[in-house]
Amino acid sequence: MIEIKGLKKNYMLGETTVLALRGIDFNVSEGEFISVVGPSGSGKTTLLNIIGCVDFATEGEVKIGGVNLSGLNDKEITDLRLNKIGFIFQTFNLIPVLNVIENVEFPLLLMKKFTAAEVRKRAEKLIEEVGLKEFIAHRPAELSGGQRQRVAIARALVTNPDIVLADEPTANLDSVTGASILELMKEMNQIEKTTFVFSTHDANVLKYAQKVIKIKDGKIVDGE
Amino acid sequence: MNLILKISLRNLFRQKRRNVLLGIAIAFGVMILVIANSFANGITDVLLNKLVARIAGHVSIAFSEKSNFNSPIFRDKEKIFSVIKNNNEGVREVEENVGVFGRAIGNGKADTIIIVGIDLSKELSAETRKEIEESFRMIEGTFQDLSRKDVENPTIVSEEKAKYLKVKKGDIIRVRYTNLFGNDQAARLTIVGILKNDNVFMQGVIFAELGNLKKLMGFRPYEIGNISITMNDAPKNAVKLANKIHSQLKPDIAVIYGQLKYNGKIINVSTLGFKTDDESKKVLEKKIKVINGEIDKVSSKKNVLINKTLFDALGIKPGESFEIVYKNKFEDKETIVKYNLTAVFADDEMTDKNIVFLSEDKFYETYYDNLPEDPKKIKDAFYPKANSSLTDILATEWILLKRTSTTDELTKKYKDMGKGKWKATIVDVQTMYESASDVLKLEKALNLITISAVLVLFFIILIGVVNTLRMTIRERTREIGTIRAIGMQKNDVRNTFILETFFLTLFASFIGIASAFVVMRLLSTVTFNVTDNPMSILLVNSHLYFFPTFLGISSNVLFILIIAVVTAYFPARRAANLSPATALRHYE
Repeated sequence: MIEIKGLKKNYMLGETTVLALRGIDFNVSEGEFISVVGPSGSGKTTLLNIIGCVDFATEGEVKIGGVNLSGLNDKEITDLRLNKIGFIFQTFNLIPVLNVIENVEFPLLLMKKFTAAEVRKRAEKLIEEVGLKEFIAHRPAELSGGQRQRVAIARALVTNPDIVLADEPTANLDSVTGASILELMKEMNQIEKTTFVFSTHDANVLKYAQKVIKIKDGKIVDGE
Repeated sequence: MNLILKISLRNLFRQKRRNVLLGIAIAFGVMILVIANSFANGITDVLLNKLVARIAGHVSIAFSEKSNFNSPIFRDKEKIFSVIKNNNEGVREVEENVGVFGRAIGNGKADTIIIVGIDLSKELSAETRKEIEESFRMIEGTFQDLSRKDVENPTIVSEEKAKYLKVKKGDIIRVRYTNLFGNDQAARLTIVGILKNDNVFMQGVIFAELGNLKKLMGFRPYEIGNISITMNDAPKNAVKLANKIHSQLKPDIAVIYGQLKYNGKIINVSTLGFKTDDESKKVLEKKIKVINGEIDKVSSKKNVLINKTLFDALGIKPGESFEIVYKNKFEDKETIVKYNLTAVFADDEMTDKNIVFLSEDKFYETYYDNLPEDPKKIKDAFYPKANSSLTDILATEWILLKRTSTTDELTKKYKDMGKGKWKATIVDVQTMYESASDVLKLEKALNLITISAVLVLFFIILIGVVNTLRMTIRERTREIGTIRAIGMQKNDVRNTFILETFFLTLFASFIGIASAFVVMRLLSTVTFNVTDNPMSILLVNSHLYFFPTFLGISSNVLFILIIAVVTAYFPARRAANLSPATALRHYE
């Protein structure tokens, strides 16, 4: 599903070149529930951004579903993100002017493949699965942190993507809510058979992961 | 609803205060633009439709007999009206435009006046009646009083003129004027009404009943003065109608068919006139060969020529006189004219018929005073063949001036015309769009000034648009990163921001238009008492006059929307081009 070989990423911070990733190699198979663990600044977000096609590798090869990302233009990359990848952000990143169902419908509407009825049906199913049926017409500002992240999970899964990338999904949540979100992600992984890759620096969440990739200073230090 | 549309519309209400302030600024600009344009349109409407069109019509047919502009007469009313009748699509009113300058003597005071004829026999359209009632408000009497038979030459004068001449209703004004034929005349006019008119240029006008005025000027019942035609949707129809009328007013060769009487002999003859301009003279000299009579030149104005066929039949000698008698088209009478024969000519084309050939000077003296019956109805009348060189040198029923499309062309036409000494009646068909194209230029100039002023205003507003958009984009950078990460294409992100500006401008424009109508309504209620000032020409019933048009307002709004969209395009594109990773990392 995901093949990464010799991945390096440098970026400029003022006059200094920061070596965010220094040669990463690993593969992710379909349906896996993988955690990328490491301290702050270790390169977790950069790695997830590159896998999620929102950032580009300086060196190395990244393949998603067999497609090499380096050969794609912006439109193709955007289409790939829309069709194959779901995102869950640390700060939820819901669109504030849309209500719960509209937020969930958003990626489906961008796909322009389904009728309005099909979009509504799929969104409602996901919202029900994440337990927010009663909040369908609420705007993000009217929801708690946990509820917002549930909406984000539903939004990430609504297009039936091959991979869901979650960048520290529990960092802004209390431990109970965080646990419930991870439970939910795990549950969705099992129901939808979607590959999940999530980053965290919280050792408590490791128990949910099938596989843990430990990363430090831009390198994998433990891949079990 | 389209996703981008929905997001754009909802985003408008996110930063309410900022957008409301920007919206007010745009609405204010639109309001000023609409008011200014409506005022410019109003001025044009007053000048064109309430002044020029009222005086000369949207389409006018002007006449001038024997190069004399003081003789605006056409001798065959039927002919002109039948052409207008055949082309009456879009025609609202057809009026005979008769007026004469004169000197009026009141009670110890005298002043220059124009007597204008009003046709009371006609049914006026509601629109024309309303325009007249708005322009001329009767203080004493009514327009119908002009048809009174119990007083001598009933007239209506303006309040200002009555004051100046120290006359009131029932008083007599003595008027000196020159009639159609250049003779000085005097008449007594009885004041039967006094009116008020805001237009300073109309205050010297004295109104009389059309038929009455025509009699005073010397018109006969079958003769008419200049014609003015007012139309519905004049900008669309006027030029079309003028062209149609023009094409149907092409003159034929003028022929007087009658009987020549000489020495007890009576022979049917066709009398023709030859043109005496230099070009025609050359052709004539070449074509006609004198076979009897001693004359300097064939083309001399004094000449009375007959063809050999007629000469052989009459046995007349040059120097002898003969009479021609012909039936008139109107009044069931005959005209008798006497000529002295100067020469006899031979011409291959003119052998079958008996022909008398006169210079156009001599020919028109008779022809216009007593129009002959239609020679086309007479088989024996002579007409040159279609391709004959004669057609260019023979006198025609009238001279039809070519159509023009601008004031410059019209001026040039009259200038060229002034160089020649025309003997025939000149007929000119024109629209107010060429005779008053300077007024249209004035409207364009006013609009240009308005747009320039408003552009400055909008430049300031658009700086606001750009700044607002920059702030918005900065605030929403992470949101841009999110929607790009989820899978929205760059173009869609750019369009979301452009649409947001578009809708803000559109809504603000609607508010601006509504405000403009309210302000125009309020300004229209203010009364200006400036009847002795030429600026009063811009007022209607002493009030400011605004004439907003759908097209004008739509183009203003379109213009503003285009500016707003173009202005929004660049910051919106910059937003769309943000890298999703960079945008997601952004923190305010």
